[in-house]
Amino acid sequence: MAAIEVRDLTRKYRQGEANMVKALDGVTLSVGAGEFVSMVGRSGSGKTTFLHCVGLLLRPTSGQVIIDGIDTTALTDRERADFRGHRIGFVFRDQNLLPSLTALQNVMLPLRYGRIGRGGRKRARELLDLAGLGDHMHQRPGQLTAGQSQRVAIARALIKAPTLVLADEPTGEVDNETSDELLFLMQQLNRTSGVTFIIATHDVDVATCMDRMIRLSDGQVRADERLRAARSRLTSRR
Amino acid sequence: MEIVHNIAQRRLRNTLTISGIVIGILALTLTGAMAEHFRAQFEGGVRYYSSNIQVSDDAGGNAGVISLGKIDPIQKVPGVALALPSIGLMAKPGSAGGVPLGLPDTIVYTDPRERDHTRLKTAIAYGRQLQPNRQGEVVLGYDLASEFRVRVGDSLDLPIRPRNANPDFVNHPFKVVGILKKTNTFPDATASVGLFDAQMLLQESLPASFRDRVDPSSLASRITVYGKPGVDLDKLADRINAKVPGVTATRPTDFVNTFDQGARFTAIAIGTALLAILFGAVLVVNTMLAAVIERSLEIALKVTFGARPWQVGVEYLLEATIIALIGGVIGFALGAGLAALLDLAGRTVNMDVFLITDRLAKIVLGFAVALGVGAGIIPALRAAKLDPDLALRAM
Repeated sequence: MAAIEVRDLTRKYRQGEANMVKALDGVTLSVGAGEFVSMVGRSGSGKTTFLHCVGLLLRPTSGQVIIDGIDTTALTDRERADFRGHRIGFVFRDQNLLPSLTALQNVMLPLRYGRIGRGGRKRARELLDLAGLGDHMHQRPGQLTAGQSQRVAIARALIKAPTLVLADEPTGEVDNETSDELLFLMQQLNRTSGVTFIIATHDVDVATCMDRMIRLSDGQVRADERLRAARSRLTSRR
Repeated sequence: MEIVHNIAQRRLRNTLTISGIVIGILALTLTGAMAEHFRAQFEGGVRYYSSNIQVSDDAGGNAGVISLGKIDPIQKVPGVALALPSIGLMAKPGSAGGVPLGLPDTIVYTDPRERDHTRLKTAIAYGRQLQPNRQGEVVLGYDLASEFRVRVGDSLDLPIRPRNANPDFVNHPFKVVGILKKTNTFPDATASVGLFDAQMLLQESLPASFRDRVDPSSLASRITVYGKPGVDLDKLADRINAKVPGVTATRPTDFVNTFDQGARFTAIAIGTALLAILFGAVLVVNTMLAAVIERSLEIALKVTFGARPWQVGVEYLLEATIIALIGGVIGFALGAGLAALLDLAGRTVNMDVFLITDRLAKIVLGFAVALGVGAGIIPALRAAKLDPDLALRAM
C-alpha cells in the first residue's frame, strides 16, 4: 500500500479582489512507504503548497490526500493537528530552531504537544548522536553552524517516530559540502528507520541524490522519474 | 523556562512594560492600603457604635457634657441593660484642623463594665489595665504610644500642650501603665484614664464661665447604653428619647450610616488607581501583540509539531500573565515599602494612614494576574488564529 496517495489535488489562492491563482492544479501521485523522494521545481511551481497540503498545514481546495490509508481531507482541525503531530515530521529551510532552547530541548519540543510517551529525552539524545551532535546537545542555536542547526531540525522531525518527513529546501542555506552531509544523514535515516521522505528543492543536483524525482511546474506534475543510481552517487561522495 | 527566556530576550521592551505595571500596581497598593486603613477604622466604629446607644445632653450636644443624674432615668427605660458614663476629649486641643487623615488623639474614660458588652474588644500589649480608683495613670493606644515614643513606666502630660497655649492652659502628668495591642481603629489613638481624672480634665476643658459652676464628679461627655439581649437598639433609642427628658439618644443605625460614607472615599481612591492600572494593561497588550508578530514563525513551527491553536494561545496568555505578575509583585513590594516609610514619617504627626493586609496582597496580586490574563487574551487569540502556511512561507 502506498504511504501517500494524492488524488487530483488542487489548491487555489486568492490574489487581489477577483483573481484566483492555482498553486496546485490536479496533482495526482502516490509515494510508497519508505521512499526517498525529491520534488523539484522552480520557485512558484507549487512545491511548498504541495508539502503544506500533504503536511496538513493547508486544506486543499479540492482533491484528496490519503496518508497511511486515512483520507486526511475528511479530518477535523483537531484530528489534523493530532495526525500531523504524530505521523508527520517537518524540516524547513532555515531559522527553524527556537533560540531560547538548547539543541536537546529543540529536539524534544514536539513532545510538548499531544500524548507524550516515556523515554523522550533518551530518544532525543539518540537522534542527536545519530546526527553527529552528541557534543552539542546543550548548545543554543546561536552557537551552532547552519549545518548543525539543520541536523538538529532533522533530529527534531523524527522525535515522534513519524511515518513521513516533509523537508522544504532543507539544504537551501548551506554550502555544497554541508548539503551533501545533510542529504546523507536523511538518506541514512530513511534507510535505517524506513521513514518516507519527500524533499522539496529547486536544485536538480540535490534532487538527483534521491531515489525518485518528481518535477513540478505551474502546479502540475510534469515528470516522475526513478533514479536508481542516485543513492550510490551520494553514498560515494561520503 | 522558555517563557522566562523569552521575556529576558526582549529586555528593554519587557522592562518598560513591567515598569508600567509596577507604577499601576504601586498606585493600587498605596490607595488600597489607605482604603484598608479607613475600612479598619470604619469597621471598628461600626462594631462599637452598632452595639450601643450614645446618649447626649440636649443642651450640650456631642461636644458637650451630660449630667450623670440622667443615668438612673435611662436605666429605668424598659430594655436597657446598662447605662454607663463615657468621657471623650481632645488629647491635643487646638490641633484638629492639622490632622486631616488620622483619627484625632483622644483622652477617654470607658467604664470597665463595657468590656463585657462592647463588640470592639481591646487587649493589653504591654503593662496592665487601669485599676479602679487609682489616679494619674493612663493606658495608651498603640499609635498614640508610638507617636509620643513612650513606654510603660514613662510619664506623659495630658492634654498635650499646644504650641500657642493660652496662659491658663493646664495639663497633668500621667504614668503610662499599659499599651494596647494595635486594633487599626480608634482605640489606637486613645489615652484611657480613670473616671476621676477624666472628669477633672473634662471640667478643665470647659469654658471658664461654666467651669467653676459644675461639680466634676457629676459630669460625663455621653452616656453609653447597652440593651438587654434581643432588644432592638433603634427602638430602644426612640423609647429613651420619649421617656427621658433633656437627652438625645442616637439610633445606632444613624451612627453606623455616617461611617459608611467612608466607602465612597475608598471607591474614588481605588477608581483612580485602576486608571493607572489600565495604562499598564495597554502596555501588556502592545508588548504581547508585538511578540506574536515577531514570533509568528515560532508559532507556525509549534503548529507543525501538532500544537492545537488553544495550546499556542495558552502559552502567550501565560507569558502575558507572568509579565503582569512580575510587575505586580514588584509594584506591591514597592507600594508596601513606600506605605511603611510614609507611615513611619507620618507617625509623629498622627498621619498613620496605610494598612497593608493579607487581603490587600491577595487583591492586588490577583488583580495583576487578572490584568495579565485580560491583556493577554487578544494577543493569545491572534497567536491561536495565525495561519502556519503563510507564516512558514514568510521565513
